[in-house]
Amino acid sequence: MIEVRRLAKSFAVAARGSGWRRIRKADRGAATANAPTLDDGRVHAVVDVSFAAPDGRITGLLGPNGAGKTTTLRMLAALIAPDAGTMRVDGIDVVARPREALARMGVLSDARGLYPRLTARENIVYYGELHGMGRDAAEARAVELARRFEMTALLDRRAGGFSQGERMKTALCRALVHDPPNIVLDEPTNGLDVLATRALRDSLRWLRTPEGGAKCIVFSTHIMQEVERLCDGVVVVAHGRTVATGTVDELLAKTGQRDFEEAFVELAFVAERGAAEVAS
Amino acid sequence: MKRSIAAVAIVLRKELRDALRDRRTLMTVLVSAVLMGPLVLLAISGLVASLEARAEQREVVVAGIANAPTLRNYLERQTYVVKEAPRDFESQLRRSTLHDPVVVVPEHFEAELVRGDVPVVEIVSDSANQRAEASTARIERLLGGFSRERALLSLALRGVSAQVLEPMEVEDRDLASTQTRATRITGMLPYFVMMAVLYGALNAALDTTAGERERGSLEPLLMNPTERWALVAGKWGAVVCVSVLIAVLSCFSFLPGQWVLRSDTLQAMFQYGPREAGLFILLLLPLAAALSAVLMAVAIRSRTFKEAQASSTVVVLAVSLLPLVNVFDLGGEAPWHLWAPALAQNTLMTRVLKGEALDAWQVLVPLGVCAALAASGVWSVARQLHQAAVK
Repeated sequence: MIEVRRLAKSFAVAARGSGWRRIRKADRGAATANAPTLDDGRVHAVVDVSFAAPDGRITGLLGPNGAGKTTTLRMLAALIAPDAGTMRVDGIDVVARPREALARMGVLSDARGLYPRLTARENIVYYGELHGMGRDAAEARAVELARRFEMTALLDRRAGGFSQGERMKTALCRALVHDPPNIVLDEPTNGLDVLATRALRDSLRWLRTPEGGAKCIVFSTHIMQEVERLCDGVVVVAHGRTVATGTVDELLAKTGQRDFEEAFVELAFVAERGAAEVAS
Repeated sequence: MKRSIAAVAIVLRKELRDALRDRRTLMTVLVSAVLMGPLVLLAISGLVASLEARAEQREVVVAGIANAPTLRNYLERQTYVVKEAPRDFESQLRRSTLHDPVVVVPEHFEAELVRGDVPVVEIVSDSANQRAEASTARIERLLGGFSRERALLSLALRGVSAQVLEPMEVEDRDLASTQTRATRITGMLPYFVMMAVLYGALNAALDTTAGERERGSLEPLLMNPTERWALVAGKWGAVVCVSVLIAVLSCFSFLPGQWVLRSDTLQAMFQYGPREAGLFILLLLPLAAALSAVLMAVAIRSRTFKEAQASSTVVVLAVSLLPLVNVFDLGGEAPWHLWAPALAQNTLMTRVLKGEALDAWQVLVPLGVCAALAASGVWSVARQLHQAAVK
């Protein structure tokens, strides 16, 4: 169970200024181009995002590029501290007790680099050990996950030569090695071909079932079809705000559209107009 | 706490495995840092041996010896073999193909000598031709002997004591021990060992920080419930291990290196055994720890490996240049040398080579400096880690 309430985050603008200062500012955060910049000279990547993702369901975080999805998920993973708002993972406050919250989450972030000189197995077991698992338990879990994601043949190959899909699978196994009750995925289908995407979808559906552990799954995407096919609940995020929440059908009914893409554009467009009004 | 320490061990093990699998980089470092020292030693020993052999040969190259039978007689009495100089000796000397200075005797040498006019004999050498240059002093002494003999004979014929010519006697007394003299040649040995430590640490330090950022593996790594300091400590420990490993290999590579020394004199002077190698490693440990942390602190601020290489040049340059203060002997040993990392280790290792004792202060000051550097480097990396992960 993941609850996010009234989350906000702004970054100093990474522009003009020289040398060291500029580099340090740029380091500060994913200040994205589409996010609204207000008069205070800061990029407000996340202004007001709230959602609740219950167990046994897949919650989609849908929004255009630069809407603040990645920043929200990074805050959820305790990588950056929010300016305002609260985040709870199974009742644990992420800001106050980040490590306890992280122990209950498996996060597949935007950056999913592997260690090219280690085998897939070693990559996965390393994270298992960092989560406090014994070596044998982590090894066993790696084998189990590999079977589940059909990558047993990859286990003892070095990650350096992996294809995009193989890297993705390995990164997913790595994120799930400690069998976390909550799973957070940031644009997981990026760069995957049709077959790999279908396999991933099947895996997520299975993880949602009681046999799969009735996990709470949050995943961000900007692809309508993903949401339509997979999500039990949708959170539409635009310009750093939650603009609508509900199931696909509920959102269709709310906007009076029959096509989900049209519904999404309308929701995001309304948000854009709203943001423009706030700015003026 | 117990879990964090376990995490340090996990990170250390993984980073070490990762670094040791980077075979190509390791081989490059091994070849450049570990083999370079002994190879240079070998080259120097070859040069010294050839100089010694030249001195023992007792040959003198003369142009126009036919003009000076008296001189020839003298040279032969000194058991020297007189060789006629080749016609193009000047260009040969310039090209360094002739390794002996050439004595040029003027045409009317004999007649001028008899008349009491002072004939001019040239010793022709090229100061860029090191081997020929090394022999000029010997030839000068040889010819000086001839002049002295002539003078003594003239005086004796007139019944004057030879002591009139030398009212004072000059004797050399060299205070340097054999080992001290040897450090003039082996003085660059600590420098090579230190470069091994530096280059051993460099790649590993950059890979675990900037490399991790470039691969996009730092962000997921920080999503594990591990304390930041534990991650950094593990990474730092691995870099220190790699660096020390290279240092140990480098220090011990000089042991077999000296068996192949071709010069007996050099071999007798070169006091470097397992004891010295062990002391070297002990002195280098704190430097490896400090350098690893500083390099990591510089590299974590870079987004790519290449960028990190550029920024770490400052550190590499400082470590390469500081010991040169010692090598060029600028103003001798000064107390501040102990406070400068790299320079301090160079000074102390040179003392070990000279066979001098190290007192506690000399060991503690560099140790303290390195500990402070290592601690601030590790602290800086830990502080920077989250900012670095999200770019």
